Order: sequence, then structure tokens, then C-alpha cells
Amino acid sequence: MGKRIIVNFLKKHTFSYIVGIAFMLLTSYIQSRYPKVLGETIDILSMENFDGNLVIKNIIIILLLAVGTFITTFIWRNTVIANARNLECHLREMLYKHFQKLSPEYYNKNKTGDLIAYAINDISAVRQTFGPATAMTINGIVTCVIAIYSMAQAGSWHLTLIALLPIPLIVVFMLKIGKLIQKRFRRVQECFAAVSGRVNENINGIRVIKAYTQEDSEIENFQALNDNMVEANVSMVRVSSLLSPAIDISFSISFVLNLIIGGNMVLSGSISLGDFTAFNGYLTMILNPVTSIGRVINILERGMASLKRLDEVFNTRPQIRDGEKAISKKIEGDIVIHGLSFAYPGTETKALEDISIKIPKGHTVGIVGRTGSGKSTIANLLLKLYNVERGKVFIDGIDINDYSLEALRNAFGYVPQDNFLFSASIKDNITFFKPGYSDSEIENAAKNSCIYDSIISFPDGFDTILGERGVNLSGGQKQRISIARAIIRDPAILILDDSLSAVDTITETKILENFRRIRKGKTTIIIAHRLSAVESADEIIVMEKGRICERGTHEELLAKGGVYYGMYAEQSEDRNQKLYKTYH
Amino acid sequence: MECMQNNRKTETKSSTKPITKPHSIVRLLMLMRPHMGKISLSLLCVLLVNAAQLIKPYILKVVIDDFLINHAEQRGFYSIASMGILYFLIVVMGGLLSITQANLINRASQEIMKDLRNRVFRTIQYLPLSYLDKTSSGRLITRATNDVEAISEMYTDVIINLFKDIFLLVGIIYTMLALNIRLALISFSIVPLMFLLVFLLKKKIRENFRRMKSLIGRINGFMAENISGMKIIQIFRGEKEKLDEFLKLNGEYFKTTLFQVRMNSILRPAAEIFQNLAVAILLWYGMGKIRDHTLEIGILYAFTTYIKQFFAPISNLAESYTTIQSALVSADRIFELLDQESLLEDLDKGISMDRIEGNIEFKNVWFAYNGDDWVLKDISFKLEKGQMAAFVGETGAGKTTIISLINGFYKIQKGQILIDGIDINKIKKRDLRRNIAVVLQDVFLFSGDIKKNITLNEEMSDEHVIRALEAACASDFVSGFPGGIYEPVMERGSTFSAGQRQLLSFARAIAHNPSVFVLDEATANIDTQTEQLIQKAIENITRGRTTLVIAHRLSTVRNADKIIVIDDGRIVETGTHDELMRLGGYYRKMIDEGRRQVERTDFQMAFN
Repeated sequence: MGKRIIVNFLKKHTFSYIVGIAFMLLTSYIQSRYPKVLGETIDILSMENFDGNLVIKNIIIILLLAVGTFITTFIWRNTVIANARNLECHLREMLYKHFQKLSPEYYNKNKTGDLIAYAINDISAVRQTFGPATAMTINGIVTCVIAIYSMAQAGSWHLTLIALLPIPLIVVFMLKIGKLIQKRFRRVQECFAAVSGRVNENINGIRVIKAYTQEDSEIENFQALNDNMVEANVSMVRVSSLLSPAIDISFSISFVLNLIIGGNMVLSGSISLGDFTAFNGYLTMILNPVTSIGRVINILERGMASLKRLDEVFNTRPQIRDGEKAISKKIEGDIVIHGLSFAYPGTETKALEDISIKIPKGHTVGIVGRTGSGKSTIANLLLKLYNVERGKVFIDGIDINDYSLEALRNAFGYVPQDNFLFSASIKDNITFFKPGYSDSEIENAAKNSCIYDSIISFPDGFDTILGERGVNLSGGQKQRISIARAIIRDPAILILDDSLSAVDTITETKILENFRRIRKGKTTIIIAHRLSAVESADEIIVMEKGRICERGTHEELLAKGGVYYGMYAEQSEDRNQKLYKTYH
Repeated sequence: MECMQNNRKTETKSSTKPITKPHSIVRLLMLMRPHMGKISLSLLCVLLVNAAQLIKPYILKVVIDDFLINHAEQRGFYSIASMGILYFLIVVMGGLLSITQANLINRASQEIMKDLRNRVFRTIQYLPLSYLDKTSSGRLITRATNDVEAISEMYTDVIINLFKDIFLLVGIIYTMLALNIRLALISFSIVPLMFLLVFLLKKKIRENFRRMKSLIGRINGFMAENISGMKIIQIFRGEKEKLDEFLKLNGEYFKTTLFQVRMNSILRPAAEIFQNLAVAILLWYGMGKIRDHTLEIGILYAFTTYIKQFFAPISNLAESYTTIQSALVSADRIFELLDQESLLEDLDKGISMDRIEGNIEFKNVWFAYNGDDWVLKDISFKLEKGQMAAFVGETGAGKTTIISLINGFYKIQKGQILIDGIDINKIKKRDLRRNIAVVLQDVFLFSGDIKKNITLNEEMSDEHVIRALEAACASDFVSGFPGGIYEPVMERGSTFSAGQRQLLSFARAIAHNPSVFVLDEATANIDTQTEQLIQKAIENITRGRTTLVIAHRLSTVRNADKIIVIDDGRIVETGTHDELMRLGGYYRKMIDEGRRQVERTDFQMAFN
């Protein structure tokens, strides 16, 4: 997939690549003319009574070469390198689109940090491979070929081979030492990460450190890390400082060989002085491509590794897709779950077993139970975050697997347990960045979620930015904004997944009262830990270890004196214990 | 150093006068003083490396002019072969010198960085909480890491390269002038143009690069947020809106990269263009001179090489200039932090108290975090050794402030806090804090293992740690781990539940055997079983210790010897639970309000 994206991109931009590479070749060619022209000029000048016009002609050629180099370089850089940048952004766009399709299961298995690294570091490595590395390779090969050929022309094949003798030496040495430098550089980076990590943790835990007077030992520990970092750095520079002098020395061997042998050839008259200087010029031209071999190989290696990683991501098929029939009928909110059992992918234990629930349109159902009893799993399956067997879950009489994802999810309003808000304005968070809601709709949603007063108490009101760079809300405030976000869509089915836990009991009561009004005739599912949230539901379902163990109304369940009654008694005691929950 | 001391003197004399600190660049240079030996040696190496660099084209000139053109007789040392060998030896020497130089300067700058980093870290350790509260932790972390790194770039790259490049430029100019003044002056004619173009382009590239970096940072942040929130985005069908937002960001980034490509495609071939231009001018001028033999071809050829050497140092200087600028910004920020020296806490000043008994008295204490914004107003109370006081009141009443004052985290403005009859300002902070253990609501765990989190950095035996865990009712879950007390703890203890973290912090407090225990009871939802363990642990810790607790549980309040009710920074009621209930004031009202909800449901139950 990833490779195909790149191939498609290359196909689409074939023309500009051809133009770019043509101009790249042209640049190398033009540049390689310079030593020859300079050599010729010197030959002309070294003749007694030379023809001034010939020199002027060559001066003009030198100037033209400069202009030519500039124009051709400008063109190939703006095609080949610019295309690589374009490819980078294109790949990132495709990757993000792909991310949007992947299911929650994928995000549970992969760390956010790794996924970000794909989008930034790996894509950048691919860009370097297709941009600078490719350019350097093509440029280097062409330059070397032309330079070596021209050297042979100016001097002799004999001289050229002798002068090039040290080059393989340089290459081998460079590759060897390059590996060593990389290894030591990694250690430097590790040390830096260790220092940053320690500082980070220390500052975040500074209150504990101060309270237990650990300042001195913290400083001691930090110094040890700091010493490591110095050592790592010194040992890296000890190797890396060898690189460029070693190249210079090896190269000077070539140069000196030319000086002695070539110089004597000039004396013996087998080559001209101009040939000799041109030869020198070509020798210097080779220096650059040769010394960058190590770097190019490094970039190519990293690029290939990154491409492989990206390929894996792109090849991950989204688990959740539109149903085969892709029905996009508007959903009314009649839910039937029939004998549903479910185990999370990759696990053996059943999270749900033989669940049957009927929720007619307009009903409110409460689902209670201990942590891990399977309450949230029901919500996850209704929202089709995981795939369900056919014939188990029906909405409006149609199998959930037959709906298009869009139609299905449009029917739901969902308030999650972990109230995830974006670092954007409160307004954008409530409307979920969708245009088309009027201010009064937004205000009403906020009022019904009992968060309106808090919002208008901020200086920027609904335009207040949330998150790190903005206002930090309390857990209860966040929950109520997520509630507003769900109810503003006036969904056919509203699911609250333990979303009143951080709201005090008085506000909870108010919100539930509002719900009775605005959710009239619409389906609502309230998953809760605290029983007060479900007391007035049409039916309460009590879950235990993935099974339904009791069901009925609040009064029926209390009268029964079973699990529900036990939970109720326990929570009343807790409520007695906690003095002023209302104040927090 | 002297002038810094002078500054400190004036600072103590009159704090209102603005103090003129030496410029950051001067202070950065002063940091180099202890390493002057290495640095001067390194500079000497640079000088020699440059000399070698300059001799190389001259040797070529001698070969061309003397032997190849004028066919001088090769005799002994005066021959092409020995010139070649000389050339090689010079390169070898230059290489060895530049290796030495690189290692010397690196060692010196690493030492400077190490000292600076240590100083920053030490300063952060001893800064009072009142300062740390006002500074975001992110900013402090940047000081000790990225800012120091930005300065390090300046020492390793800039300072030495600056000398190298300036020496080299001066050297080239000198050599060219010495070889042929007129030819040199003609070659220099393009230099101003070169300077102008390079500096202008580099400035633009740098600015654009900064934009690129900030955009890639934003893309990074966007990715982080959207990947964490992907489930929500999918449920709310917000994919399209989020994609649009992403495309906008990505497109902006693309634009800056294109600008970068364009600028580079002008700058990169510039060196060659200038070289060709200079050579063209030289040839045009030299043509006549060579004809009438007033100029040797070798010199002309050497000049074309010198001209080539011109470009690199100029380009480096432009680079250095921007590096220095950003290093100075970092330096300013670091020195600003280091200048807080007068604020730093001295843990060892004052009366030494090996063991505190635990008699605590607040005498008319007034306290404000800022100016006259009093958070505590005239607070007075007294606790005998071993007693327990529960602080009760609404959020923001000042409960947390009272407990933070006891271990001297903040200085009070009026009144006195006495421990065992001694003003806490007079007690050695180290002794004071060692005797007081604080457990806050959100427990902070360090990465490492459980034992390290209990002992912190103190020497303690495994048995001692296990006993502390037992007293804190934490030994059950700890012994359930395969590693026991050596079970690894992830960053911030993210693998433990809130209740477990709480128990571990109790164990930490017990292990340090304090005489005073300060607790801010957690309000977070904790399951009933752990809740019971916490209750038991609290009982264990408070036994025989003076305890101050911000209470959220009725049982805690009932156990207290003294309940202190705070409202708006003042003590409104003091007494035991029964006394205060009888009093029928603020406390009674609070308890009743908390109960109303419960009673309502109780009533319903009876009714059904």
C-alpha cells in the first residue's frame, strides 16, 4: 500500500521528474566543463604572445557556465527536491486518512508515540531518500563518471588510475567509522533523553522531594547522569573528529601523486600545464560525491526501514467497515439485542455472555454493575467499535451489520467515560467542529447539561480555548461539556457511559430532570456506577461477569433484595461517609 | 566575578534600584574561564590548521611557476617530489592538529555545559515553592535541557568556528595581498556582494526554518490529540472536519518547505557562481599582465583556489550569527533563573532539632500568596504532641494553605508558627521537613521500583520497607507482584490504581518515621475495599503522631481531637464532632446538607 502510494505519486509527477533529472544531468555536465576551460585558458596564457580574443572567449564561457549552473540547479532543485517535499506531505495526508479509518482495537495495541513517529520521522526519512539522497546519488555518479573520463582525457588513464588509488581506501574507512560514530551518537542521544527524563520527573515531583528533603541526593543522582552524558559526548567526538582529517589526508595522497607524476609529465611535455590544472580541478570535483557516500547510504538505509514500517501501517486493514448492504436509512431508535455473546479480539474470556435486551424507541434503560462486568462493552458494540456476529443486534429491525457506518453512528449521541475534549474552543468542542448549529442551540445544549453558568463565567465564554494552552477544566466540567456535545445532535439514541461520576449529586439530579424533558420519545441508555443515575429508568439491567443477573425497575429490584439491593446499601453507606461531595 | 559580587552588594543595599547585570554574552564568556588552558590550546591549533590551509595553494603555485613554467632545475629539496611530500606532511600535520583541537574544545565545552546544567538543576532544587508555583514545569524543564543545549551549540560550533573562520578570512586576505596587491583588491571586489547575499538568504532561511519547526510541532500535537481521540472522532463522525483541519496544517507546512527549497536552490549554487565570477575577473585583468610578464600564471591559479576558500567561512559566519542569536535568548533565560540565588532555600540554616516532639502552635497567622490577597486571616490554634486536628471547609477556604505552611514551604507575613515552642523560621529546614511527612491528594510516584519510591534516596533495609508497607496496608498487593518491593514503577506510577498509589504514599510516610503527619484526604472514587484499607492505614500512621488532616470522610472527622472549621481564611468554629453538632453552626449545616441526599433516598426506601 505504502509503496503503491509512492509509485502512484511518481507516476503522477513523471514529467517533472524527467525534467528535474535532465537538468540535474545538465548541471553536472556544465560544472564539469569548468576545470577544462580554466586549463585551456592557462595553456593559452602560458604561450608567448597569446591571442587575447581566445582568452576573452573563455572568460565569457566561464561566466556562461556560472549562469548555466545557477539556472539548471534552480530548476532541478525546484522539481526533484520540491517533489520530495510534496511526497512527504502527500504521504502524511494519506497516513492520516488511513488512521481515521482504523478501529479502536488498533489504537489499543499501538502506542500514540509510535503512531506519531510514523507521521513525522518515518515520513521524513522517506522524503530524504526520495529527495536529497536520490539527487546526491545521481549527481555523484554523473559527476564522478564525467570527472574520471575528463581526467583521463587531460592526463592519461595511467595517471588517473594512480591518482584514484586512495579513493577505495577513503570509502572503506568512511563506512567503518560512520557506523562507529552512529553507535556513539545513539548513546549521546540516550544520555540526553535520560537527563531530560530525570529533570522532567524531578520537577513534577518537586513537592515530594522538598517534603522529604531529598534535594541533595537528587542533585547527586543528576550529576551522575550528567557525567555520563559528558563521557558519551567526548567518546563520540573522539571518533567523529577523525573523519574529516582522515579524508583530507587520504585525498592529499591523490593530490600529491598527481603533483609529482603529473608535474613530471608536464616537464616531459606529454601533457600541457592546462591539462595538469584541469586534472587537479577534476580531482577536487570527485571529493564531494565520494565523501558523501557514507551519508547517502545511511539515508537510504533509514528510508527503506521507514518505508517498511509505513507499509505495515498502510497494510493494516480497518476492522470496522460499512455493512455489506450499506443501508443509510434514518434510525428511529428501536434496539433489540438477542442472545449476544462477545469476546474482545485476541482474548479468550467472554466479555458478554448471552445478553438479550429490548429497548423500544423512547425508553430509558439503565445498566449497572461493577467495573469489568461488561457495561461499556454493550455501548462499544452498539456503536460498532467492534464487529458483532450477524443476527444478534438489531436497530429498527435491521441487523447492525447492514447499516453504513455513517448512518449508524449518526444515530448515536455518546458520552464516554474518559471525557476526551480537544484543545479547541468550548464551542467547537460542543459542535464537534461542525458548522450549522445556531448559537441558541449551543447555549441550550450547555444549559441542559448544567454547564452554561460555568462557561459564561469564563472571560471568553463559549470561545474559551481548552487544554494545555487554555483553560483547564475540572473533571465534572469536562463531563458536562461532553454531555452537551452529545445532546446537541439530538440523537435517536443517547448513551451515557458512566458520565456523571464526577458530577455532584445535586447537579446529577438536575441533568437527569432535563433529560426527561429533552429525551422524551427518544431512546436513552445510561451506564452508571452510582445508582442514583439510573433510579428513574424504565428498566435497569444489572450486569455481573458479562451476564445479566437482574433486571427490572428500581423499586422492583430493591424489593427483590438481590445484587442491586446490595449495591444500593453499600453506596448509601459510602454516601454517609463522604461528607461534602457536593462541594467538589 | 568581582563585578557580580558588586552587583549582589548593591542588590542588598537597595532592592528598588534596577540592577545592571553584565550582558549575557559576557557571562557566557566568563563561564569559559576555568577552561582557558584547553581553549587557548585549541585556538593555537586552529591558528596552525589555518596556516596549513593557506600554505597548500602556495605550494601549488611554486610548483607551477618555478618548475612547470620556468623549468627551474630540480636540486635536492628544491624539487617537485619534495614539494609534494611537503604538501602531504602539511596536510597530515593539519589533520592531527584539527583532531586535537576538536577534542580539546569539545571536552571544554562539555564541562562548561555540565557545570551549567548542574547549576540550573541545583537552583531548581532549592527554589522555594512560592517561586515554583508561578513557573510552569514545562518552562523549567526547557531551561535545564533545551536551553542548555542551545548554548552548547554556541560553545562547540560558534566560538571555535568564529575564530577559525575569522583567522581563515584574515589569513586568505593577508596571503592574497602579500602575493599580489592589485590582484587581491580586484578579487575582493565581489566580497561585499557575497556577504550581502549570503547573510540575506541565511536570515530568510533561518526565519522560515523556525516557521517550519513550529508547524511540524503543531502537526505533531495535532496527531497526538487526534490519535488519542480517534474513537470519539469516529463515533461523532468528525473525520471530515478533522481531516480539513489537518490538510490546512499540512498545506501550510508544505508551503514553508517549498520556500525553503527555493531559497536553498539560490544559495547552494551561489558559491560556484561567485567563484566563476571572480575567476573571470581575474583572468580578464591578469591577461595583460601575463602578456608583459608582470604576473605569473601560478599566482593567478593560486588565486582561483583562494577565492574558492573564501566562500565557506563567510557562509559559516552567517550561520554563526543566527546561532549566537538563539543561544543568547536561551542564555538570558538561564541566567534569569540562576539569578534567583537570593531566593534559594538554605536547608541547613537555623537551630538543629534532631527529633521534633510534635507540639504545634499557630499564633495569629496571616498569609497571602500575592500582596495583600490574604488567604489566611488571623489563624490561631494549638495542638499537643500526638493529637489529631481535622480541617474542614469548602474548597478554597484555605485548608491546603495551612498544611503547606507547617513545613516551611511558604513564609508567613504576620504572626508565628511554633513547633515545640520554637518559631519554624528559626529551625533548620532539613530537620523540620524530615520530621514532618506529607501525603497529598494526587500522589506522585517516581519511575524506578516500589522500594525506591518508599525510601526515596535514603538507606533503608528491605525489612524496614516491608514493615512500612504492612503498616500502610499495602503489603498485600505489593507481595502479589512478581517483583515484590522491587516491582518496577512506570512513569508517574501509571500502572497502579489511585487507591494503590495512596497506600504506597502512606508507606513512604511511615518508612521515614515522622513525628508529624500531614494528610490531604483523597476525594477520588476508590472502590470500597481499598477505601477500608486506607482507613486502616490512616489509623496506623496517626497513632502516636501529631496529625493534621484535611478531612473528607465522616469517620476521620469523628476520630479527630479537634475539628477546625475554616471559612474564607478564618477559623469559624473549633471543637470535637459532638461539640460542634451541639453548637449547631456552620459545621452542623454542612453535615446536614451532605446528608440530605442520603436521607431523601432513605425516605424513598421506607416509602416503597
